[in-house]
Amino acid sequence: MEVTFGALRDQIQKPWDRLAARARWMRRAKLAAMYGFLIAVSAPVLLPYFWMVTVAFSSKTGTVDTLILWRAMAILLPFVFGCWIWSTIGTTARQMFFGFAAITAVAVAAFVILVLPDLHLGNFIFIGERNFGDIVRETRTGSKKGEVSGGIDFPSVWLAFANSLYLAGGQTIIVAVIASLAGYYLSRFEFAGRAAMLRSLLVLHAFPVLTLIVPLFLIMNFVGLLDQLLGVMLVLVGFELPFAIFIMKGFFDAVPWEIEMSALTDGASRRQTFVRVVLPQVTNGLIAISVFSFIRGWEEYIFVFTFLIDNVNWTMSLYMFFVRDDILGIDFGLVSAVGVFYLAPSLVLYLVAQKYLAQMTIGGVKG
Amino acid sequence: MIWIKENDVAAVTENDLDVRRRLRSATWRQRTNLFIFLGPAIVLIFLLYVVPVIVDIFISFTDMGRSLAINEFTTKQYEKVFAGDKRLPQVIGLTFVYVFGTLAVFNVTFGLVLAILTTAIPKTSGIFFRGVWLLPRMSPSVLYIFLWIWVIDPSEFGLLNQILTNLFGVVKPVDLMTNAPVMLIIFSNGFIGASMGMIIFTSAIRSIPEHLFHAARVDGAGGLAIVRHVTLPALRWPISFITIYQTLSLTVSFEYILLLTKGGPFFDTTVYALYIYGRAFENGQYAYGAALALFLIVIGVALALLGWKFFDMKKLLQVPRIEVQ
Repeated sequence: MEVTFGALRDQIQKPWDRLAARARWMRRAKLAAMYGFLIAVSAPVLLPYFWMVTVAFSSKTGTVDTLILWRAMAILLPFVFGCWIWSTIGTTARQMFFGFAAITAVAVAAFVILVLPDLHLGNFIFIGERNFGDIVRETRTGSKKGEVSGGIDFPSVWLAFANSLYLAGGQTIIVAVIASLAGYYLSRFEFAGRAAMLRSLLVLHAFPVLTLIVPLFLIMNFVGLLDQLLGVMLVLVGFELPFAIFIMKGFFDAVPWEIEMSALTDGASRRQTFVRVVLPQVTNGLIAISVFSFIRGWEEYIFVFTFLIDNVNWTMSLYMFFVRDDILGIDFGLVSAVGVFYLAPSLVLYLVAQKYLAQMTIGGVKG
Repeated sequence: MIWIKENDVAAVTENDLDVRRRLRSATWRQRTNLFIFLGPAIVLIFLLYVVPVIVDIFISFTDMGRSLAINEFTTKQYEKVFAGDKRLPQVIGLTFVYVFGTLAVFNVTFGLVLAILTTAIPKTSGIFFRGVWLLPRMSPSVLYIFLWIWVIDPSEFGLLNQILTNLFGVVKPVDLMTNAPVMLIIFSNGFIGASMGMIIFTSAIRSIPEHLFHAARVDGAGGLAIVRHVTLPALRWPISFITIYQTLSLTVSFEYILLLTKGGPFFDTTVYALYIYGRAFENGQYAYGAALALFLIVIGVALALLGWKFFDMKKLLQVPRIEVQ
């Protein structure tokens, strides 16, 4: 009975504290290990993109100037790391703001002093100059125009840009219109063969068009759509359509019946209801499938490469491909610059529309 | 009195006619609705899926070559598939190695690891890492492969060789293109494939009720035990879903391989789908390409049919509630 309450508490408390401290350390160690692993596997993915952007804006001699890359890395890595550390330390919004502002200010200052003087836009020569191939060949290797055979006759980059825009944009519009019409009908109308049609669409949405490239090529040839952007556009539409119809059906399924019922009781026809009442409810879905189709059309390579021959029909993917083919051994900076020019639109579009893309679900996948 | 009655009759017949007219116009509108809403989709799908399959079967029984002319109908393409083509066994073997290698290492396993880890760390960091892994999927294929070609460039300017010489002191530049081409195509496809699994698995993990994790913790489970006994059982459906769909897409796609190695060196990275492409468009053997493609089409349909298992058909085929046209 001599044991006081305080001594008893000490007896329990001390090992308890030790245990708690150990558990806290274990937790931190585990978290650090997870971060370490994720950084280690993600760095190889991010590094080439970062280097491409840096080279595009900094390369002067055509080869990769390593010094500027290391300098840029030496600024970027501590910056990201600092922001990250601060985001775990800072507690109030005020602290966060000033912390990030300070880190950013230091990084920007370092950037202005160490990197900015070496940046230039010379590698983007292809934007205004069609004969950039001859020019860089002359400056880099000293060979005169016409001296090297096999140089490719490039169209203006803006022509390729416009072609890509036409291909991706046209395909997007067709897919969006047809998929919302079909998605609505499949979601809201009962008709003979509806179940069969939904089932076969489900097969088609997984079925790869790429296996049909040989017959598609022959059909395009027979109907005279070979070497025309319209032909590729139609193929891409077929590619995207089953998937887009399913996505749109999912969005239409989520629209409450009551909205439609009340429109119908007020005397609207089904068609009016569709255009005026239901369609505005699924704008998120329309944006999602449009962005998705556009990015797909923008990056399309195989069908473009196989079906288009004449260089006035080149899209950005072919332009990039042939620039890489022709110039890669001669001027790294120029190829990187074309890469940045090509990547930027789809990346921006993706970042802007990310929240819409995240809403896409194919209705009714089992959990 | 009579004329009133007559008038009544007239009214009835008129009413009757009206109903009939309205009924007729309802079926008429039903037809036109079907035509307007579903017509374009049906026509396009018919033209771009059904017609090519028929054309493919037709061509595969001819001798169409580079000139695109048909001289005779023959089964020699199929004889060649089953007996004559010495290259084919090697191509099919490689396809298995490539598809299941990529699937096992990246699309399923690594996708799962990414999903589990990015949901275990704080939310913002998780979004960041997932964003990084989505980058290859969002980049145009030509650009993505340009980066690969640069990274593995066998000269000392290649990114990989720069890192190896500067950080690890390797003296001789490595040439992956000639030394490990199969590994190269598995990695370049896997970096893209992993993100699909990552997204699907992440949303599946998110939908596991929080209290299961708490209950497991209270019962004394560690992190790995929770993954083993709570997370993985909940991912059974998504994992089989990803396995089927990614098997299909890996089997038929050859875009990255065509851009990166062109199937070489020699035939070392020529998978089945790329072999078809090469036969048809490089050698001009359209009929033989069509015959080879038919097998791929059959595999595609079979795997796609297997995909039915993953859909809740009852919900998908839910009958609409409005009968008005």
